[in-house]
Amino acid sequence: MDAAAVPWWIWPIALFAVSFAIGIVAVLAGVGGGVLFVPVVGSFFPFHLDFVRGAGLVFALAGTLSAGPVLLRARMASLRLIMPLALAGSVAAFAGALVGLRLRTDVLQIALGVTVVAIALLIWRSRDAYGPGAMQSDALGAALHMRGEYQDPAAGLRIDWRTHRTLAGFASFAAIGFLGGVFGLGAGFANVPALNLLMAAPLKVAIGSSGMIISVINSAAAWVYIHHGALLPILAVPAILGVMLGSRIGARLLAATPAAVVRRLVIVVLLLAGLRALSRGLGLWT
Amino acid sequence: MDLNRDANEHAAQQIYARWLDACTRGAFAVSLAAFLAYATGALAPYVPLASMPALWGLPVDEYLRRTGAPEGWGWIALAGYGDFLNLACIAALPLVTALCYLRVVPAFARRGEGLQAAIAAVQVLVLAAAASGFFAGG
Repeated sequence: MDAAAVPWWIWPIALFAVSFAIGIVAVLAGVGGGVLFVPVVGSFFPFHLDFVRGAGLVFALAGTLSAGPVLLRARMASLRLIMPLALAGSVAAFAGALVGLRLRTDVLQIALGVTVVAIALLIWRSRDAYGPGAMQSDALGAALHMRGEYQDPAAGLRIDWRTHRTLAGFASFAAIGFLGGVFGLGAGFANVPALNLLMAAPLKVAIGSSGMIISVINSAAAWVYIHHGALLPILAVPAILGVMLGSRIGARLLAATPAAVVRRLVIVVLLLAGLRALSRGLGLWT
Repeated sequence: MDLNRDANEHAAQQIYARWLDACTRGAFAVSLAAFLAYATGALAPYVPLASMPALWGLPVDEYLRRTGAPEGWGWIALAGYGDFLNLACIAALPLVTALCYLRVVPAFARRGEGLQAAIAAVQVLVLAAAASGFFAGG
């Protein structure tokens, strides 16, 4: 199909529909959705990748903000877990953005891709990926009150959870934020394994909190795109409107979806994200 | 579980959720209205809609050079145009997070949770630094 022959108004409508669908999936996988939005819109829409990246970031921001109230009220996201980790991530994202141009991003993309694919395989092999969480908090986790409880309608259980390895969690979120800053795109897909496998948050709490952490980090990163003029409203606003509706539906589905299904979805999204980072690093698909 | 502590946690989280809900609903409604005004031509754009298909495939630097669209905070002066009014709606989204964080600072402080209040306050400063454009060069 010749994109130039298509009336301009078709593209915003198509963007709205695509964003709505990705918004549902993104919340269920605990990602911002940029990892799905950028390759899909970059491949099938006529916009330059500079603008697609900018729209991808505000897309992720709008989706995670919109899902937030449902996740917080259902206690599938924990403000006390989110705040310190998001602070570490957003400060590191600044540092990453400042040094980003001095590093060989192709090498980092390959390293990131290999890491994410390895994490996906680790979750696939780990039987505890959707377990009840740590039995005891460590000292820092206890001081920060990183614990909570929530009702899981899919499992029919009230789950009391707490986290551990808090210092390692801070280091992970600083590293994730730093990489996100270096690449100019969020690396939020690494949040769920850091929260679940490392800090032992239950999978649904890890997914809900991951989205909220992305919303905080992207709130800082969005200004880079705004100040650089890399946001086209004709592209970004339909994407924002679509994902805001889709993510609210996704947040409600998260409570009712069995953890095993959510786990499989996380693995698929991590594999897609990891392979995409690898392909960018190897120059196969930029 | 310490029920008082859990109730405290839930209270701060509820406040954040309530503000976030109100802000995102408001942002959706205003963005939809602004986009309809822009797309229907009710509000004239700075860059004509008919010329967008020839421009949206260009790299951002080339797009800015051809259209004369501003960088930094220059867009605020053009917010009377449909496209830049929509950009203002986009810029409101990152402010939502800062607003919700600001709201929970006193909520935590009132409950004697200085550490959480301090974390929230520092995060607001980080977001304000990002909005200032000081770090945009990275």
